Parts: sequence; C-alpha cells; structure tokens
Amino acid sequence: MDKTEKIASLGFGLGLRKEHYNAILEAKPEVDWFEILTENYLVPGGKPLYFLDQICERYPVVMHGVSMSLGSYDPLDMDYLKQVKELAKRTNAKWISDHMCFTGVDGINAHDLLPLPYTDEAIKHVSQKIAQAQDYLGMQILVENASTYITYKQSAMTEWGFTKAVAEESDSLVLLDINNIFVSAYNHGFDPLVYLDGIPSERVQQHHLAGHSQYDGYIIDTHDHDIVQGVWDLYVEAIKRYGQVSVMIERDDNIPELPELMTELQMARDVFAATTQQVAKAQHV
Amino acid sequence: MSKHKTEPSSELYRLQQNMMAWLVNKDSDAVKPDVVDTGEVSKVSIDQRLAVYGNAYGYRLIDALSENYPAVHTLLGDDDFYKMTYAYMDAYPSQHFSLRYFGHQLEHFLKKYHYNIPVLSEMAQFEWALRKGFDAEDEEALTLVALQEIAIEQWGELKFIFHPSVSRLDLEWNTPQLWTAIDEETEPMPPEKLEYPYAWLLWRKELLTYYRSLDVDEAWALDTAFQGGNFSELCEGVCEWIDAEHAPSRVAGFLSQWLQDDLLVGLG
Repeated sequence: MDKTEKIASLGFGLGLRKEHYNAILEAKPEVDWFEILTENYLVPGGKPLYFLDQICERYPVVMHGVSMSLGSYDPLDMDYLKQVKELAKRTNAKWISDHMCFTGVDGINAHDLLPLPYTDEAIKHVSQKIAQAQDYLGMQILVENASTYITYKQSAMTEWGFTKAVAEESDSLVLLDINNIFVSAYNHGFDPLVYLDGIPSERVQQHHLAGHSQYDGYIIDTHDHDIVQGVWDLYVEAIKRYGQVSVMIERDDNIPELPELMTELQMARDVFAATTQQVAKAQHV
Repeated sequence: MSKHKTEPSSELYRLQQNMMAWLVNKDSDAVKPDVVDTGEVSKVSIDQRLAVYGNAYGYRLIDALSENYPAVHTLLGDDDFYKMTYAYMDAYPSQHFSLRYFGHQLEHFLKKYHYNIPVLSEMAQFEWALRKGFDAEDEEALTLVALQEIAIEQWGELKFIFHPSVSRLDLEWNTPQLWTAIDEETEPMPPEKLEYPYAWLLWRKELLTYYRSLDVDEAWALDTAFQGGNFSELCEGVCEWIDAEHAPSRVAGFLSQWLQDDLLVGLG
C-alpha cells in the first residue's frame, strides 16, 4: 500500500439515496460531497449505475460499505474487494470506509454490524484484515465505530481504546460516527466525551451525523429521524477536538425530501461555524 | 448454520459462532453467558439487548425479500409473508455479501413451502426475472444499420447475441396480469390457471423493464436463437406454423421487433 496522508476536509455532505437522484441532477444542490452505499452499486448495470455516473461527474464521492466484515474470523471476501476496487476506480472515490464489526462467520451473512469483544486477540485479528484490505485496495481505509447493544464479558478495554489500538496497529483512519457514540454511550452508560478524548485527532477523517429511535431504556441506531440535540451537542465537542473534518448526514429510512435534508445540512454548517468562532474567541482571550 | 463440532481455539471465533447461533438458530444459550448483565444499573436485560440483534436480523431479511418480491408479499399478506421469510431464511441463510441476492432460491422454495398455492412460485419466478432486468449489465443495442450492412448471402449463417437483461418464461397462470394489477394498485383480480402455458419475454430497454407475451412461433424462434440457432434454422423452424414461402419475412419481422426492443447486442 502507498502511504497516504489524511485528506483535507471535503466539507458538508449527504448520503446519496435513490429517492433524491432526480432532485440532485435537476436542482444541483449545494452539497459539498456525497457518500454512496457501496453495495447498492455492486450490480452489473442499469439504473443505479446510470445515476451514479452522472452524480460522480458533478460531486466528489466517497464509498461506505457494510460487507468487509473486518472483524469476522472468516477471511476477507476477495471477490467483494475486487468489486469495491473497481467501483472506487469508476467513481474516483476519495476514500472507502467500512465498520468495526463482524457481519457473519462460517460463510453465513447476518447483514448486520455485529459487535466485537475488545480484546488483544481481536485487535490483532482486525488489524491484520484491515492491513490486508488496504494493501489490496492501495489506500488507507476508514473504519467506523458501530452502535452496539451488548458488551462481552471478555472485553478487556474500552471501545475507544480498542478503536485507537486498531487504527494504530493497522495504520488506518477513523470514521467517527457522532450519533453512534451517543447511542452506545446511552446503551452502555459511558461518558461520550471520554470516548472523544480517546480517539487521536490525526486518525479522524470523517464524521457521520444521524438520527435514532429512543426506546424504554435503550436507543436503536435507526437513521430514520432528524438529528437530536444531544447529537448536535456532541458534534460541537467533536469540532473542538478534531477541527474541520468531512461530515455528512446519514439518513436510511423514512427519507424526507431533499430540501429538508439540506436544511439539516445547513444546521451542521451553522454549528461548525459557531463552534469554530467560539473556539477562536476563547483562544484570543 | 451448524453448531461448531469441536471447541474452537479462538475466543473471537467462539463468540462469533455463538452470536450467529442466536441470530440464525434462535439459540441464545451459548452467547448469553458471554454478555455483560447490566440489570443492576440499567433496566435493559440481556434478553432485550440480544433481541435488538435478533429482531434486526429478521426484519432486514424480510425487507430484502419484500423489495425483490413485492407481489409475492401482497399475495401472501404481511403475516404469511413474514412466516414464509423466516422459513426461507432457515432453509437458505444468506451467503452473499449483498442482500440483492438473498432471494435467489425463493421460486424453488415456494414450490415446496406453498405447494398448495402454485401461482406464488410462478410470481417469484416472474419477479426475479424483472429484478434481473433492472440491474443486468449494460450493453450497446444492435442497430438496424449494423444488420443492414450484412451481405444477403451471409444471412443464413447469422446468429444473434441477446442483451443480458433478457429472460424467457412460460407461465401457467395469469401471473403478469396479476403483477400489473398489484403494481398499479388496481382492482384485485383472482389468480387464474390458463388452459395452456403462455410464453413471455422480459427485458430492459434503456432504464425501463418491459414484458410482453409471445406468439408460439416467436417464442420458439427466441429459444432457438438463445441456443445459437442461425437465421436459416429459424426460417426452417417456423415452417411448422406458416408456409415456407412466408417464413423468411416472418423471421425478419421478429428481428425487426427485437431490434426495436433493444433485445440484440451483437451478431455471431
């Protein structure tokens, strides 16, 4: 793998969803970049690739996948990686990301982001697979913190300690999902600010912002609601720690019209501007 | 998924097998002892926490199957579709990285599982062919000009290469009409078994998927052309339905329609 430097912020982006294809091409909204869901475009042809090609001509694009299964005891699916690499070339993707999880084992795919134990064995295993993927893809990848609902008794460290160790061991970058930190902090009862403090700034290349669903005693990361105030507040804390990082809104269900998401994206811009202004002011005092 | 036969040496592997046993076999006995009980500080039990994953596994696969088989879903209704999907995921747990291919065995599964409602498996066959049409590989369609450039004496040997989106089905039920009624949310019509199977063609032209019924001679010509039959063989074959004198113009008529529909991408 060629050693790459952390890429400068792309600004404020949105997840590309089929519901918005026509609106994007007709209205040319002021979105700095789009994140595409990798698997949606690993098809031979037809409508998905037709629209994707046009959007890639107009906007920078990054790829976000759910199938690398970096934590699985199974080996990497090289056929999948080959298709990912071809799509990255086709879209001129700025980077590729996936999740800190396993999605199945023994050849069965659960199609979910299943939690890993935070152990030395898992650090070694995940890091080796990330390194292998990076070698094959020829670039550093970003690994995202997933929302989790259980903790294994075997875990010998915190999630953020594990994330940091894997990033350093594999020389990969981090996609820090602010909503997922909020969700997991609530579900497991840890302090999200301590989590943020535990992730080295030089590894953080992208943020996700999203909504979730609150249940009695726990939160599920559903991506089907507006971003809640607690997540905005945590984003403020992330800006204070990591500065300007590419950030995007992830909406996967109950998808509103594009203008509604543009309003939410403007909120992200406003929060960033206000926070950086506040930080600058504090530094001058 | 089978349970591990020997005790794995890796703790990571063991945990992953146990978690999958919960999701796939609904057996939480193995994974439960490995999960931290937060009962004293949080009112969320281990069972509730595991249920988040267990429920998501089922819902995600139901959604995937429903997206590819909306008319099967409508015909069955929610409750029976959910039950059927759980039975299907037991029989065919997903082994592909993409949910797009999770339903690839549904037609065969429905033949056994809902053998008493045969229109269901035929609907699954029809919807899977539509799905194939939707995202099959893009290929440049053959033009009339390209065909006209072929010297007349070479036509006899001419073979035809079809677009990857093309499917040919023989259907025993009014499945396409039923699908259309469901898709357009018009007055529901009853499934009806036909006197004899009808031939259908499904394909994509540009970005839209189409289907149409076929006369028996065109269906035969298409099937023969798919298998590498040349123009002469098609002309000889259609003589079963029309006289030899009119056979070449009948086949030329098929070709003209196939070109208009963007079915052809090359000549062999």
